[in-house]
Amino acid sequence: MPGTTDQQQRPAEHDPPGSGAGTTEKAPVAIGLGELLAPVRGRLVLAATLQALASVASVVPFIAVAELGVVLLAEGPDGFDRERAWWVAGIAAATMLAGLGLTLAAGALAHLADNDISLDLRRRLAAHLGRVPLGWFTERNSGLVRTSVGDDVSAMHHLVGHTVTDLTRAIVVPLVSLGWLFATDWRLTLVTLIPICAGLALYARMTGSASARAGFEEYGRALARIGSASVEFTHGITVVKTFGRSGRAHRRYTEAADDLSSFFLRYVRSMFRTSAASELVLSPVFLLLWILGVGGAFVSRGWADAVDLLPFALLGLGLTAPVLGLGYSFDEIRKARSAAERVAAVLATEPLPEPAPGTESEPLGTTVEFDRVRFGYDDRSNALEEVSLTLEPGTVTALVGPSGSGKTTLARLLPRFYDVTGGAIRIGGTDLRRLPAERLYRLVSFVFQDVQLLRASVRDNIALARPDATDEEVHAAARAAQIHDRVRELPGGYDAIVGEEARFSGGEAQRLSIARALLADTPVLVLDEATAFADPESEAAIQDALSRLAAGRTLLVIAHRLSTVADADKIAVLENGRIVESGRHAELLAAGGRYARSWAIDERSGRWAPTAAAPLTPEAAQ
Amino acid sequence: MIRRLLTVLEPPEAALLRRTVAGLLICAVLQGIAFALLVPLLRELLGDGGISGALPWLGALAAVFAGYAVAYWSSTVSGYRTGAGLSRTLYHRLGDHVSTLPLGWFTAERTGGLAQLSSKGVIAVMGVPAHLLRPVITAFVTPLVVVALMFAFDWRLALASLVTLPLAAAAYRVTGRAIDGQERAHEAASAEAGGRVIEFARAQPVLRAFGRTVHGHRELDDALAAQRASGRRLLLRAVPGFAAFVFSVQFGFTSVLMVGTVLALGGSVDAPELIALLVLAARFVEPLIVAADLGATLRIADGALNRVQTVLTTEPLPEPAVPAVPSDPADTSVELAGVSFGYRPGSPVLSGFSLRVPARTMTALVGPSGSGKTTVTRLVARFFDAEEGQVRVAGVDVRELGTEALMSRVSLVFQDVYLFDATIAENIRLARPEASEAEFHRAARLARVDEIAARLPDGWDTRVGEGGTALSGGERQRVSIARAILKDAPIVLLDEATAALDPENEHAVQDALAALAADRTLLVIAHRLQTIASADRIAVLDEGRVAELGTHDELLALDGRYARYWAERSRAGGWRLTAAPETAP
Repeated sequence: MPGTTDQQQRPAEHDPPGSGAGTTEKAPVAIGLGELLAPVRGRLVLAATLQALASVASVVPFIAVAELGVVLLAEGPDGFDRERAWWVAGIAAATMLAGLGLTLAAGALAHLADNDISLDLRRRLAAHLGRVPLGWFTERNSGLVRTSVGDDVSAMHHLVGHTVTDLTRAIVVPLVSLGWLFATDWRLTLVTLIPICAGLALYARMTGSASARAGFEEYGRALARIGSASVEFTHGITVVKTFGRSGRAHRRYTEAADDLSSFFLRYVRSMFRTSAASELVLSPVFLLLWILGVGGAFVSRGWADAVDLLPFALLGLGLTAPVLGLGYSFDEIRKARSAAERVAAVLATEPLPEPAPGTESEPLGTTVEFDRVRFGYDDRSNALEEVSLTLEPGTVTALVGPSGSGKTTLARLLPRFYDVTGGAIRIGGTDLRRLPAERLYRLVSFVFQDVQLLRASVRDNIALARPDATDEEVHAAARAAQIHDRVRELPGGYDAIVGEEARFSGGEAQRLSIARALLADTPVLVLDEATAFADPESEAAIQDALSRLAAGRTLLVIAHRLSTVADADKIAVLENGRIVESGRHAELLAAGGRYARSWAIDERSGRWAPTAAAPLTPEAAQ
Repeated sequence: MIRRLLTVLEPPEAALLRRTVAGLLICAVLQGIAFALLVPLLRELLGDGGISGALPWLGALAAVFAGYAVAYWSSTVSGYRTGAGLSRTLYHRLGDHVSTLPLGWFTAERTGGLAQLSSKGVIAVMGVPAHLLRPVITAFVTPLVVVALMFAFDWRLALASLVTLPLAAAAYRVTGRAIDGQERAHEAASAEAGGRVIEFARAQPVLRAFGRTVHGHRELDDALAAQRASGRRLLLRAVPGFAAFVFSVQFGFTSVLMVGTVLALGGSVDAPELIALLVLAARFVEPLIVAADLGATLRIADGALNRVQTVLTTEPLPEPAVPAVPSDPADTSVELAGVSFGYRPGSPVLSGFSLRVPARTMTALVGPSGSGKTTVTRLVARFFDAEEGQVRVAGVDVRELGTEALMSRVSLVFQDVYLFDATIAENIRLARPEASEAEFHRAARLARVDEIAARLPDGWDTRVGEGGTALSGGERQRVSIARAILKDAPIVLLDEATAALDPENEHAVQDALAALAADRTLLVIAHRLQTIASADRIAVLDEGRVAELGTHDELLALDGRYARYWAERSRAGGWRLTAAPETAP
């Protein structure tokens, strides 16, 4: 991929703040390969140098053997030039040893560099991910993180560990060999080059032609098809089996398999003639035949000395191997390059802007103010439009509305999952964007439905916000969250590792996360009301814990059941990203608007239950 | 490896594989002969014969090349055909076999592994005959042929070249053993680091909210550092071994060179012969080193083949030779009689479990997590077979009923709904492809999927994405209920959703369930109070047994477990969130 954008080195600096969500879609590759590998550049240069020396050294033994032939064939009246013979043999042995030693050293160096750059890249990725907007971590992007930090960095192995040295060898070995051969006999050299050039040209035509490239892409698509058919087949099999139709998904899967198989055959057949011809022309057997045959003709015409054929028989065979080797690893190199591009793309994701030093400001009080907030996940439409709302300290504000109305989006703006695209959110009069992240999260915490426990001890999980909390404080929080007794029952108690020695049910995990929030003790709390009903087995315990957590804080609640928040100080009804009504429960009921209608539906669904006894006609269901 | 490949192949392809290997062997042998021809060729060219003496040998070389070309051509073609046939066979055999495995086999871990295996693994295996066998066979066979022929020319030099073999083999073996442990350690460290990375990404909101920003997650950094350290250890351990191998291979060259020089200077071997043999010895070195490099690729393919075989040898669900037919076609009862079952030996989930769900009634299963509710429904659907006792559907043991007959009687509506990456209509229709347009629309309407389709850009033809990601959880449930309605099986196993839905969706799901429940036999893992209260019978499960059984009123009157459960849940249902401390009723 020529010139992957070194000119885009700088991410656009004038992007509006908070456009991070959008940038993931276009994901400009702003970081070049050179910059990714900068930390090991020195070692890679050294490895390439060692490999160049090694390549020269590896050609010498062949030259020496040819020279030995000359010495041994030139038997004079007083026998061989013994001293010269031993010298030449010694040089052959020594340079071969040196060549292998240097190759090993270069390879080891490149591999160690690869090992180190892997760590460096993973650290950079992790550090960067710690700064991108929280909203970036969608399901898709979490998968991206796993592949980029794990698989992609590993896939770059070939690029760092092998390609640099392989390339050096592929250039130096033919150059040195050809140099020597030209010096020996330029005409024979040209003759030797004929099959080599022909073979390489065939090879290049095969891999470079439009139809080959199209075939390669098609092959990639066939692979992708069988991949997704496999995923679908294996994940969906329980579904199709229960419908007694194993045949269906199965058919799609076997069709994809047959496609792949027959495509593979067609594809290799279409290239087979060229590739086989090229490989045969370049094969050592043919080169030997060619060099000795044509060389023999030269000798018989008196154009060359028989002895001069020796270096050609020795070096000519070795000319193509390194280049072909490079061709074989072409696929690996391509994969490594695209892996590197993905890594670079993640590193190029715009981080959430932090206030420049000196521009931070200190909030006065904990009143939260949404001021004509506008927000869109993309440029096309806005999820929130002109939303203004004030949360007074110590009050409960509930957000209600149908799914897609923007209540979750609005609630997530407060802990800065995203930045607003218009308007402002202020705490104590200070814009969120002018609060350093650490300061913000000492003011705002949240409890959502998806609990995130770390594979660490129970104690560390609870004390996440305050690692220095005393055991008493941790236990008190756990007790208030109704999880203390459960933890005490564990074999390791508070030291049990979550996910290994301690497995928690959904409700228990929920209560642990509440204990965590209790210990963090922030004045403002964002809460998803569904949390209270996330686990039917321990609803009451979760609810008691939530009631304790809510006490005395400024609360913003995403509400799904209206009944839960009927006592809230303020209920804001959202529809299509706007607040259409707000007030207390009684006021809203009296207004007879959207809220009153939802309340009626909620009441009705609360009374329904499936029954086998009462047959339902289609009409009754409407 | 070849033997293992032969066991998974169909006979015609196995013959093809044998032909490929034979062709490759011929290629390698001919290549060795071609190299060996250098000896007489050079002897004539450099010696007294001159070009006329060399001509017959050149002719021989040309003949060898012609044979080589033919063998190369045919082995390459048959190699490709074997590869293509191999992938086809492996996919088909995997697919066929997996379809016969019990539903219980398909845990998340297994399906993930299977998907990986059938996408990447099979491709790796396919590459063996297509690409990998040639360099490996050439690397080992050609040098052997050359050495054998060297004996014909000069046994001393041949012997000198042979000293390398035991050394190289020993070095290869010792290195393999030395890095084996390191390799495993490195794999473990990489897996640990991978897990931490996922955790880091997934827990990002929490980590950040609790002040663990940029360098906050020490565990991740430790795991990454450990991964690097183990990689380094692996490398440092591998380098001396690899060096020993490479040097021992080249030692063969050096010894031929030295012995040859001594002999040539002593006059007991001709210079042209020595030169030719030295060319051969030098040609040795490279293919062997290439072979060592290929070892890793070969191991990957071998591992994949191994896993394919493991799957293929997993016991399928036994099917009755002659499926039993229920005596009463109207019988749609479900019964578990004295059933014991556990996922791991020694820890039974159900022990002596008995429960009867009469035809056209609804039984709700209630109990704490781990009490065996899900297991009961899975046994009825024959995800597994009971260890003791009998599971009867329509009065017949499910093992005698046969999968097809059982599945035609039972609909499953579970919480984890899988939708295929196809249109909404196709996802519903798969329940009964032969259903009429009217039946399809009725099912969709009853499950209120028509509302979803109306909202989506392409209506019924909207694709739902892999796993149904384009729909919300509640919408996916509605599609799954529509499937069950269209299937129209008399028995429904239902696992009620625990996660809260928004009011609209919850209402729609409940309407859909009502439509499904009508006039059917229902076994429900119930979470919602209304569902529980309306059941004909409620079974309270505890530690793998039915602790209480009866109607809602009977169980309340009993004042036992159920009564306590009901009271607590009722209190929770009326919960209201306020900022004023402690206002719980």
